[in-house]
Amino acid sequence: MSDAAFLSVRGIRKSFGPVKVLHGVDLDLPRGSVTALLGENGAGKSTFVRILAGDHQPDGGTIAVDGTQTSFRTVAQSRDAGIRLIAQEIADAPTLTVAENIALGALPNRFGFVDRSAMRKMAQRALDALGADLPLDAPVSSLRSGERQIVEIARATAGDSRCLIFDEPTAALSDAETQRLFALIKRMQQSGVAILYITHRLDEVFAIADRVCVLRDGRVSLSAATTEVDQASVVTAMVGHAISAHHDRYSFAAMGATPLLEVERLGSSTFRDVDLSVAPGEIVGLYGKIGSGVPELAGALFGALPYEDGTVRLAGEMVKFRHPAEAIARGVGFLPADRASEGLLRPRSVAENLAAPSWRRLANGPMISRSTEARAFGNWHKVLKVRSRPDGSEGIATLSGGNQQKCCLAAGLRLAPSCCCWSSPRAASMSVPAGNLWRVARPCPAGARHSDGKLGLRGHYRSGDPGGRHGAGQGGCPPHPG
Amino acid sequence: MNIITALSITGILAAGGTILLIAGQFDLSVGSGTAFVALMFAIAAQSTGIIPATGVALLVGAGIGILNGFLVTVVGVNALITTPGTPAIFRGLTLSIGGASSVRINGFDWAIARPLFDIPMSAILFLCIAIIVAIVLARTVFGRTIYAIGANENAARLVGIRTKKTLFLGFVISGLCMALTGPVSASQLGSTSGTTGMGLELAVVTAIILGGTSLKGGTGSMFGTILGLLIVGVLNNGMTLMNINSTRQQVAAGTLLILAVSFDQIRQRFIRS
Repeated sequence: MSDAAFLSVRGIRKSFGPVKVLHGVDLDLPRGSVTALLGENGAGKSTFVRILAGDHQPDGGTIAVDGTQTSFRTVAQSRDAGIRLIAQEIADAPTLTVAENIALGALPNRFGFVDRSAMRKMAQRALDALGADLPLDAPVSSLRSGERQIVEIARATAGDSRCLIFDEPTAALSDAETQRLFALIKRMQQSGVAILYITHRLDEVFAIADRVCVLRDGRVSLSAATTEVDQASVVTAMVGHAISAHHDRYSFAAMGATPLLEVERLGSSTFRDVDLSVAPGEIVGLYGKIGSGVPELAGALFGALPYEDGTVRLAGEMVKFRHPAEAIARGVGFLPADRASEGLLRPRSVAENLAAPSWRRLANGPMISRSTEARAFGNWHKVLKVRSRPDGSEGIATLSGGNQQKCCLAAGLRLAPSCCCWSSPRAASMSVPAGNLWRVARPCPAGARHSDGKLGLRGHYRSGDPGGRHGAGQGGCPPHPG
Repeated sequence: MNIITALSITGILAAGGTILLIAGQFDLSVGSGTAFVALMFAIAAQSTGIIPATGVALLVGAGIGILNGFLVTVVGVNALITTPGTPAIFRGLTLSIGGASSVRINGFDWAIARPLFDIPMSAILFLCIAIIVAIVLARTVFGRTIYAIGANENAARLVGIRTKKTLFLGFVISGLCMALTGPVSASQLGSTSGTTGMGLELAVVTAIILGGTSLKGGTGSMFGTILGLLIVGVLNNGMTLMNINSTRQQVAAGTLLILAVSFDQIRQRFIRS
């Protein structure tokens, strides 16, 4: 197997400060095959592919391309070896056109001048291969995020690539776009390209992958051909224990209770005539593709975005929040859709990030101390199993995406909200495993949560899935750690 | 102690500047603001005496801060444009009201007295302000929100921080610092003129960045700024002792700022990797 592999990785280790992310990962990417990479939040998937892309330097281990040992000190070196990463976070040049973005990094030129017609041809070919119809001369900032994702994919596949790494490419894509992407992946595979595909969707794994590799806690916990495993064994490899059916134990006691949150004919520039009702103890899932207005609706309920028409009632009382501070004061919790741009105070510590929404409550008059914040974090550290120091004194940026997501969740939950608006709690770089999320969501009296991403275990989030108290025991109502 | 006295004007302004730069904003109007406050103070002092004149200085300083804060947070003009724009106005006003000659201030000798351990008033004032700002930044909710806004203004708003109000307050604090430095500068020189406070903003920004506050916002401390101030002060003192021409000192000041910003960039790259 390994002699046929295009890329062969052995014993890759990586730490960020005191946090060990990868403890010796082995992986082979054979030519002409699709390998799916799975793992829970914080398992180290994103770090691993960034090492392959030359974006991070491993602390140990070897990388061999075509059997020759090599090291990627820069992204350019990895590109030269034919490796292309289609990152989860869109990294395009918003003011440049679609054609320019696709050709970026390999601009066709004549005597140093950009050959615009060659550039347009190259871009058109790449888009055709994806079956996408996008205006070549429009700036990418004018596109929907799904379309921008397609531009990213087109850029990676435009040149001579020998290995493609997709980091959750379908999160922002429509079903039709996803199907076209799969067709393209199949074609690339047939032409001998090695493909590594990160996803949280098990159906995708079995639809396109030949091999599956599961990371858990920075180690490979499963590596097999997809024909040899089933969904249950993959899930077990991801979470480390078999998933019981305990999610189904929730009773339906809240059915018919007085709604805590009532939304009537809410309208703004991005959505209109939205009616919604959430009872205490109820979790309502909102689902919509990018551009459907779902994240905007969540923002409007929280006072982060304006709305023009309609009414919102909280506990029977009309409210119209003009600033998130007003929503927080009334006990509404929030989790933003885009962690990097809306959620994280990047240069600040983990504890500070967690405490930020509740600074006023933690404060002693105008004063607040580090130790108060550290104590506030310490309580959540265990509940959410955040991989960090117990006092949360390190920078939030040193944590993996999944652990950052847990902190964002906890920051909102610390306020003991009576109602939560969560945008894509498991989206993008995944985040909290569904089971844990369920456990922390449960004690909140009401939750309006939406996911515009696709949930790996969507069944648990079906609309109007109410629940009341359930038997104590593991997975039961966790204490609110304060 | 001489260095601290020499630094007191730069230092008081840098205290307000540190708050703003941590929040990702800056105030380049501090030099001419100081000159304008000093002139208003001097004019008021001639007719009404020192105590009412101090009130005038506070009002004028707060006014400058309110104007800057209004333009940046309410109108939404970038601080890069606003804060060099307003000083052009104030420098012009200072020159046109005060004329080319300097305005003398009498009866202000007590301000240069050395009331405590032979430490001049201005140095005591600077040390007090520095300690207050250090505590505010490190220990108060207001300080935390300043760091949060500099770290990610969007996220700060979503955790319930009134970002615009806080930034407005930051500019007002910077204005109040000018309200103090105006009289301090007048007291040190015994007079004020149109060239008071020239190039001060450069020294202030240099000291803050040398002290480790990132241009990107979200990091930094008052303690760092004090270290930065000491570096600037020791260099200036050394150059003066060595009889280096003041025009060459300007070359040195500019070079130091560029070095400080370069170090900031290199450090950030180092932190990221």
